[in-house]
Amino acid sequence: MTRLDLTQFPIIQKILYSRWPQFLVRAITLAGFIFTILAGILGSIVGSHNFAIIFVWIAWWTALKLFFIPFGGRSWCSICPIPMPGEWLQNGGILQPSGKGIGLRKKWPKVLRGNWLQAGGFLMVGLFGALTLTSARITAIILLAIIVLALLLSLIYERRSFCNYLCPIGGFTGLYAQAGPVEVRVKNAKVCAEHAEKTCYNACPWGQYPLALKSSANCGLCMECLRVCPTDNIAVNMRPWGSDFGPKTKHRLDEAFLGLVMLASVLVDSAVFLGPWGQLKTAAYEIGSIPWFIFAGIFLFGALVVLPGFYAASVWVANRMGNIQNSFRKSLSHFSQVLVPLGLIAWIAFTVSFAFVKFTYILPVISDPFGWGWNLIGNSNTAWVGETTTFSLFFQVILLSLGLFWASRVARQISDSTKQALPLIAFCAVFNLSLLWLLIG
Amino acid sequence: MKKELLARLIIILFISLAIAIPVIGRLKLSVNHNNVVELHARMPENGGWSLSTIEVKAGKPLKLHITSDDVMHGFSIGKSDQPALEITPGEFVDTTLIFDTPGRYTFYCDRWCGPNHWRMRGTIVVTGDNQTSQPEPQPLFLKLGIDIDSPSDAETIPSKPVSAENGAKFQHLLPEYALQRDTYNATSPAKLWMRLRKESTLANLPDSDLWDIIAWIWQQNTTNDQVINGQEIFAKNCAACHGETGEGDGVMVRGLPVWDPGNHNSGNVMHEATGEGLVRPPDFTDPIHLLGVSPALLEGKIIRGGMGTGMPYWGPIFTNQQIDSLISYLYTFAWNTRAKNSN
Amino acid sequence: MMRQSPNILKQNKLKQWTRITILLLLCLVILFVPFPIPDAPPTDRHIRIEASMFQFTPSEIKINKGDHVTVDLVSTDVVHGFSLDGYNFELKADPGQTSSGSFIANRTGVFRFRCSVACGNLHPFMIGKLQIGPNLLLFRGIILGFLAIIVALLSIKTKK
Repeated sequence: MTRLDLTQFPIIQKILYSRWPQFLVRAITLAGFIFTILAGILGSIVGSHNFAIIFVWIAWWTALKLFFIPFGGRSWCSICPIPMPGEWLQNGGILQPSGKGIGLRKKWPKVLRGNWLQAGGFLMVGLFGALTLTSARITAIILLAIIVLALLLSLIYERRSFCNYLCPIGGFTGLYAQAGPVEVRVKNAKVCAEHAEKTCYNACPWGQYPLALKSSANCGLCMECLRVCPTDNIAVNMRPWGSDFGPKTKHRLDEAFLGLVMLASVLVDSAVFLGPWGQLKTAAYEIGSIPWFIFAGIFLFGALVVLPGFYAASVWVANRMGNIQNSFRKSLSHFSQVLVPLGLIAWIAFTVSFAFVKFTYILPVISDPFGWGWNLIGNSNTAWVGETTTFSLFFQVILLSLGLFWASRVARQISDSTKQALPLIAFCAVFNLSLLWLLIG
Repeated sequence: MKKELLARLIIILFISLAIAIPVIGRLKLSVNHNNVVELHARMPENGGWSLSTIEVKAGKPLKLHITSDDVMHGFSIGKSDQPALEITPGEFVDTTLIFDTPGRYTFYCDRWCGPNHWRMRGTIVVTGDNQTSQPEPQPLFLKLGIDIDSPSDAETIPSKPVSAENGAKFQHLLPEYALQRDTYNATSPAKLWMRLRKESTLANLPDSDLWDIIAWIWQQNTTNDQVINGQEIFAKNCAACHGETGEGDGVMVRGLPVWDPGNHNSGNVMHEATGEGLVRPPDFTDPIHLLGVSPALLEGKIIRGGMGTGMPYWGPIFTNQQIDSLISYLYTFAWNTRAKNSN
Repeated sequence: MMRQSPNILKQNKLKQWTRITILLLLCLVILFVPFPIPDAPPTDRHIRIEASMFQFTPSEIKINKGDHVTVDLVSTDVVHGFSLDGYNFELKADPGQTSSGSFIANRTGVFRFRCSVACGNLHPFMIGKLQIGPNLLLFRGIILGFLAIIVALLSIKTKK
């Protein structure tokens, strides 16, 4: 496959190699993170006039899905402020490791490995989303809890255990980063094989060994390996989208679960936030009420039983259509690759409806971040109700078709025959049709 | 090591900046707003006005910085003709009020914000030495000793639509008292009709012509401007319960039991926000209700509210002129519509 | 032999580009070609829509193209608004004061209408649907989806 190694350009190589540019960006995101928490706690109770709501749920959440992941894989993780304080303590230094860090550096328990907890966290986002999405206070409290939790865990466990196993957004970006166009790989495997020290593995906050990297799911693009490699043997490649998929790549059952949770979440979010059913919205919002328990029950049943059941059925049929009989469990993991392009494009299409309409809220909260009646840049109170345009509807139709094309292609690539791919394609088609109906029907 | 120090300084600088913006902003706000009262409007279910009482000295400006925390509200001063302010969620409105006369004033929300909207009231206490304010004159219903809670349906109603124009033809036959303002105020249309029925000069007129006369008398006691004014007040304040057509089917009283004169006398029990015991208002288009009540009684109901029915008290809100206009408008429901068969 | 190979490569590339062009044209046809569906005769529509936190009732409305639509907006709890996507049509109603307006439904498709007066936490998601004529875009989307599957399957075969 074609790859373009960015480190061959001296300027890019310098930018990536130096710790300063990344450090400065992370210093800004950390300050922004703290500012967001303060805005959420001190600012207006009215969501549309609170920086925390608009910047987390409109600006950042949109940028993540429309920009960071599709064009940079886990690029957000490389500038995410959440693990910063913990990492300083682990490293004993802010700019670079000093070797005098503190922390117990325990290994993350084996039973909790994989994406299971992240998928669970994402289910929580879906269950409590209507409240967190609209309450600046709750948003701030969650952000605060996350950064404190990340700090505590980094004192107990080694490296970025929080990012690897707990962070729901880490699960989201990791899953879809497999489809992204950026990867960190070694230039020459032979050089690594002869190098006994593994400086890169020791330096990697994510616990990855670059020579063994086959998937970008767990690489946070932090560039530490690049910086410590004594032989300059690390490449940062631009690659075709979807390069991590293939008939031989290894995938786990928890990836399949995470992928299915994401699909269920995008359907439920579309129905709750973009649908015309007011009672559903109220049920999702009034946490603890009887309608909410019904909503939660249906949501969990859909996400844990219906959708996985449907997926499992199509995998079972596909398995029987194949030339070689794999174990069912192995097939469930193997075919989960199909869920990645399908889900990524589905989230992008959802975001077009969800966020484009609300973009006029962004300038006013820069002008008056706390809703205290400021007018810093003269744009306070300029938000309007917004509308979906004909363009955005067509854009969504094209996006969803593209997603179906991509998922079908992956399904065919990882199957023995067209016949084997068809059940999976049917699964994707039904999912896409449901989302199409929710978004433009 | 120098680099590490620089990095730490940068982090401290950025975080300080992130913290300084809201802190300095808040401090500046409180300095600028030294004499300013910040008032938050919230639905009664969310706590109502953030301040229930505001104190100010007579003649001194009261600067208010008002916003809403949930839905659209309004800010208005009771018994005044000042236009209301629209309070939009998340946006601030500034206003300055000056009260010359010491006393207690009501501020209230004038936009319907749920079934308990009318509870969104607060008090501005204006203190001062010159207690020149005169006590309000006693409302007519108290002077006349009308029991506004007793059943008051009309003893008789017209059997066909009335025509004030036709009634005007017989004005020369009327006794003097029929045209007096006091008679209008204190008498219900049905009572006046029965009184006139007994007049020998009108003995030859059929019942329907006599009803036309009553309609004409009621018309004489009001002006077109009053009716228009009353209609505006009704639409804004009353229609959410009484219905836009006066039928008692407003959006706020859906699901409540239908009004029944028998349970209209439940004493001085104030009903809480639960809505327990509340009823639908009567159907004003059924003349049996309005033709049985005098303007003084209507005024009493408006000022004091209907005990135990959910009808709020509007005494601190409306001026006397506004109440008069509202009463004028209310009777148009009874006159303008076809008599309903109340059996 | 060695000389020919760049030519074959060029030819293959040309073939590939022709295919992509044809595919793109096909997509454009699916998305934009007019469907010969007869419009129902336009009528006068009087629609009463009740707005409460955070629901329009009815929230899904179907009408025909060219209909003269009058909307009565009735708020049942707090002040609500009604803003129709794609049409410059907005209403605002206080409880007890029905607000009315009319427009001619001259654009077909499904249009969302949303509350335009902040009415609480879920206000940004208070949405309803107005379908004017058939929802052609949905059918176009479905056909495009089938095309996507076929092209995906073919794209792998041609590679082998």
